[in-house]
Amino acid sequence: MNETLSDQGAIYLQIAHMIEDDILRGIYREEEQVPSTNELARALRINPATAAKGINLLVEQGILYKRRGIGMFVAPGAGQAVRASRQAAFYKRFVCPMVKEAAGLGLTVQQLNEMVARAAEEGKQ
Amino acid sequence: MSEGTLKATRLCKSYGKKDVLRGLDLELLPGCIYGLIGRNGAGKTTLLSILTAQNTWDEGEVTLNGEPVWENRHALDQLCFARELSPALKTGGANALRVKDYLRAASIYYPNWDAPYAERLLKEFGLDKERKTRVDKLSKGMMSMVTITLALASRAPFTFLDEPVAGLDVVARERFYQLLLEDYGETGRTFVVSTHILDETNGVFERVVILDEGKVLENTPTDSLLEQFRLVDGPAEAVEAVCAGLKVLSKEYLGRRLSCVVRGTPEKLAALPAELDAGALNLQKVFVALCGHGEVLNHE
Repeated sequence: MNETLSDQGAIYLQIAHMIEDDILRGIYREEEQVPSTNELARALRINPATAAKGINLLVEQGILYKRRGIGMFVAPGAGQAVRASRQAAFYKRFVCPMVKEAAGLGLTVQQLNEMVARAAEEGKQ
Repeated sequence: MSEGTLKATRLCKSYGKKDVLRGLDLELLPGCIYGLIGRNGAGKTTLLSILTAQNTWDEGEVTLNGEPVWENRHALDQLCFARELSPALKTGGANALRVKDYLRAASIYYPNWDAPYAERLLKEFGLDKERKTRVDKLSKGMMSMVTITLALASRAPFTFLDEPVAGLDVVARERFYQLLLEDYGETGRTFVVSTHILDETNGVFERVVILDEGKVLENTPTDSLLEQFRLVDGPAEAVEAVCAGLKVLSKEYLGRRLSCVVRGTPEKLAALPAELDAGALNLQKVFVALCGHGEVLNHE
């Protein structure tokens, strides 16, 4: 298996996530073709059915669309759609665990807020 | 290219007093890569030899597309069982057959035999200079490579590989899975691969068949099997509270801390409280949880 995949969590979800990341990073731009199921399967050494499942998930979500006989393409507005769904997931994936960890360490909400503000400030420099 | 379904119904097989298969049911679909896993002695090799009519059985039936496979030329043409080679023959004595003898036999036996592909594989494995070598003089890794060459080049719609990676180093194992997936991409035939090295199979097996004590415990898409399991970890009281209503496969206390492997529907698992760590399990850990035969506690 390729190093970019982990053995925790369903592979097809990891594939979908990876393509979304690449859309966000501008590796695939809107209206550009993404790798085919077989190319993904070969590059990542996974079952083509699994690769197809990941791609189909993004088709269902309107992130990718199919051009008959050519392949899969990034839908117009996909970047915005991925960003919106990632923002929605951000709370559960990052904020909740952070708050939990902070509470476990005895940090107050105010202290946590100050830390976030400080990190944002330092990030600007 | 693959046709029909290979089906075993209520299979029983014993060797003397030892029951190996105990009323086993299994259905293998065309066009799918299966991982076959089970502990030593679970009956994997026996099952594969019976599915391909290379071994007799006591009760039950094996059919391909509804036709019995036993002594059925048409069905057998669709099946390839690549056994592990051994330096000694079952009948006693050394395995003095040469690599080229195996290849020649395969080319006669398998109607879809792809000779140019076999040549490419031999070169790839560095076996093209070993054609005249006796099997009992090959290294364990080379024996595995001969088995893999036979299995892949047979181009049989149902191809069974028994521990194909057992003797291979890590680079060769990676290469084997690559070759398997490439061939699958081209032909879409069914492969059933038994192995004990599960950490390297991530993403390869579309479905897993788990064999335990002579029965099929699971025949499930890998993704949907994995999403039924979580390792819940946290303060013992909190973990015990959430485990009620879930199937608990193992429990491990460490001071006031408790780690449980639980099984439940994805909906139930998604409802686990966020304060507890609930991590996904990989296939190896799921297998250990199912077949480790620790005490299974059922809280349902």
